[in-house]
Amino acid sequence: MTKPKIYVGTAGWSYKDWIDSFYTGKQTKDFDWLEFYSQYFNTVEVNASYYTYISPKTVEGWIKKVEERNDFLFSIKLHQDFTHKRNFTKEQTEAVKSNLKMLDNANRLGGLLVQFPYSFSLTKENANHVKLLLETFNDYEKFVEVRHKSWLSPAPKASVNEPTHTPSLSIKGSADGSAPEIETMAERFYKFLAKNKSSLCAIDQPEIGEAVEFKPIAVGDNLYIRFHGRNEKAWRQSLNNFSKNQTYEQQSERYDYLYSPGELLEIERAIKEVLNTVKKVFIILNNHPHGNAIANAFELLHLLTERIKVNIPFTTLKSYPRLTKISLN
Amino acid sequence: MKTIFHLDMDAFFVSVERILDPSLEGKPVIVGGDPHGRGVVAACSYEARKYGLHSGMPIRNAFRLCPNGVYIHGHHKEYGRFSKAMKYLLEEKFPIVQQASVDEFYFDFTGCESIYGPPEIFAKQLQDEILQKLSLPCSMGISSNKSVSKIATDFKKPMGITYVPYGKEKEFLEPLAIEKIPGVGKKLFPVLQARGFRTIGDIANASPGYLAVLLGKYGTDLWNRANGMGNDVLSVEQERKSISSETTFNEDIVGKAEIEKYIFHLTSKVAQQLRNENWQASTISIKLRYSDFSTLTRAKTLLHSTDDDKTIYDTSVQLFRQAYTRRVGVRLIGIHLGKLNHSCEQEFLFEDEEIIRKRMLGAVTKIRDKFGANAIHIGVSEKD
Repeated sequence: MTKPKIYVGTAGWSYKDWIDSFYTGKQTKDFDWLEFYSQYFNTVEVNASYYTYISPKTVEGWIKKVEERNDFLFSIKLHQDFTHKRNFTKEQTEAVKSNLKMLDNANRLGGLLVQFPYSFSLTKENANHVKLLLETFNDYEKFVEVRHKSWLSPAPKASVNEPTHTPSLSIKGSADGSAPEIETMAERFYKFLAKNKSSLCAIDQPEIGEAVEFKPIAVGDNLYIRFHGRNEKAWRQSLNNFSKNQTYEQQSERYDYLYSPGELLEIERAIKEVLNTVKKVFIILNNHPHGNAIANAFELLHLLTERIKVNIPFTTLKSYPRLTKISLN
Repeated sequence: MKTIFHLDMDAFFVSVERILDPSLEGKPVIVGGDPHGRGVVAACSYEARKYGLHSGMPIRNAFRLCPNGVYIHGHHKEYGRFSKAMKYLLEEKFPIVQQASVDEFYFDFTGCESIYGPPEIFAKQLQDEILQKLSLPCSMGISSNKSVSKIATDFKKPMGITYVPYGKEKEFLEPLAIEKIPGVGKKLFPVLQARGFRTIGDIANASPGYLAVLLGKYGTDLWNRANGMGNDVLSVEQERKSISSETTFNEDIVGKAEIEKYIFHLTSKVAQQLRNENWQASTISIKLRYSDFSTLTRAKTLLHSTDDDKTIYDTSVQLFRQAYTRRVGVRLIGIHLGKLNHSCEQEFLFEDEEIIRKRMLGAVTKIRDKFGANAIHIGVSEKD
């Protein structure tokens, strides 16, 4: 199998606290953040689409701004109406689809990120909801992020005699008449995703309670990995403050984390174990406060592309001196 | 005849610190904490060694010699991560890799010439690869056995490569000072020096019988090593995930004090095993089963990993007291040590009291190894 194409970027590009650590402080009128961003990275995850239905004009603008970078891809996070509120209309579906189509036609679509909340555990109802969403957006690549362990755990013994919770139970028949081999829930889930043009999104986050552990698993053609940081204390705090009104800083605090070089080496190893089984790999850094995501994105880009030196802006080198060793300039 | 590589990372802790903070490059860097404290130097850069600094010296003395040095506490978890990455890199290339310490490895190159070419040329390529992939400098020694390879590594540092061809071991060792032999330290050095031994050649040319009389079994071993002989078998153990021990009582027990005695006994067992395997544990958990078979576990993750009986015992007792809430007989008690990592000296271990404890525990481990687990017990106050 040929080597996969590696896409490294961040979750969003519009953060004011990236000024001076990525974007220059002295910006001319025609300075555009996305255009600048695309000079350094070949993908970005659009998070605004989770909160609002993006206008086609805006999408058109994005496509124009990255036109200098041939291989640039956008991944769109599905609106919360579909994944969290789980209550959506035909019109809302069309609004999402038309943007996906526009990006796809321009060869700028990485895929649709379908992210479920931590509380979204494996139940029959939830499994059917996943099925519904994947079928709804069947024309596009999808990256499914489940944060609850139950989706990825082996099947409990009881499930052998129970009707399936997932939509695609299969029992492998045994030719020699021995006891049939029961697939684990995780295996069924992966198969189901692969059949529906979907990949499993791996996440790195503080390992708290029933949260899934970091383990990239290749399902389908793509590998999509999101890094939320390991700020355990702030993460726990944010779980306590869930649904309370919070400032941007309060909301962002749990992502305030800079992965250390040693942690990145461990991450590199985990990714490389499955790297050659897929066609595309998307690495998305969501530890955005201060520009930490930017620094770690450059470092992972270096590690995953045979340690070639990376083009890094002066602003980032100044804020993160340890990147000097991997910098092209 | 085998080809054994010994690889030692150069000023490992300092090299990792320089990855984290490149401004430390070229400066005398001392890992070990507060220069006015009571600890000792865990590691220092080659720039610091020019001032006479070395690992293990009291940090206050180091500060007197090198007041302009950069003194840092160190990032011990990060050292562990780089150590692991180093091991993975070697395991991808060689079937047999033995990790001797956090920054030291042996690997068997025998039969690999057809893939990698001559060992001394390959060593340079490997050194460059490690520097490029992990930004870590290292030195290597190559010979037919572990003992000579280790001495050869030390012969040229940093970024050195020393190849001792088969048959030339004795010739290589002959002019070297006796303290270059691992194990010839503070105690043995004066004993040998007083008897006129200056070079390894002096030992090699002495009668093996004399050394056996002088030092017992160790004397014979020393003579063999001085003559370029040594072990060429690498011990490769499967990575341990945890160590645990539990006991089911003949009759159910009621009462904290009685159960805590058993915790004490279990602590001795697991801590001994931990130290024997050169591990430290970060997570300590206890298992408690009541007479009605209801079972519960309680765990605690420590700030610093440990192999100390006292820490393990104190934590286990604390967990037990929190968990033991019913006035029902206890059927089973167990201790489980998890998140194991290779023992690497940590700054906090170097406080005077800790040094004494560490020596004491080292002695306890040896006595138990020789005479059995019950040969010696560490006392516990009844009030505890």
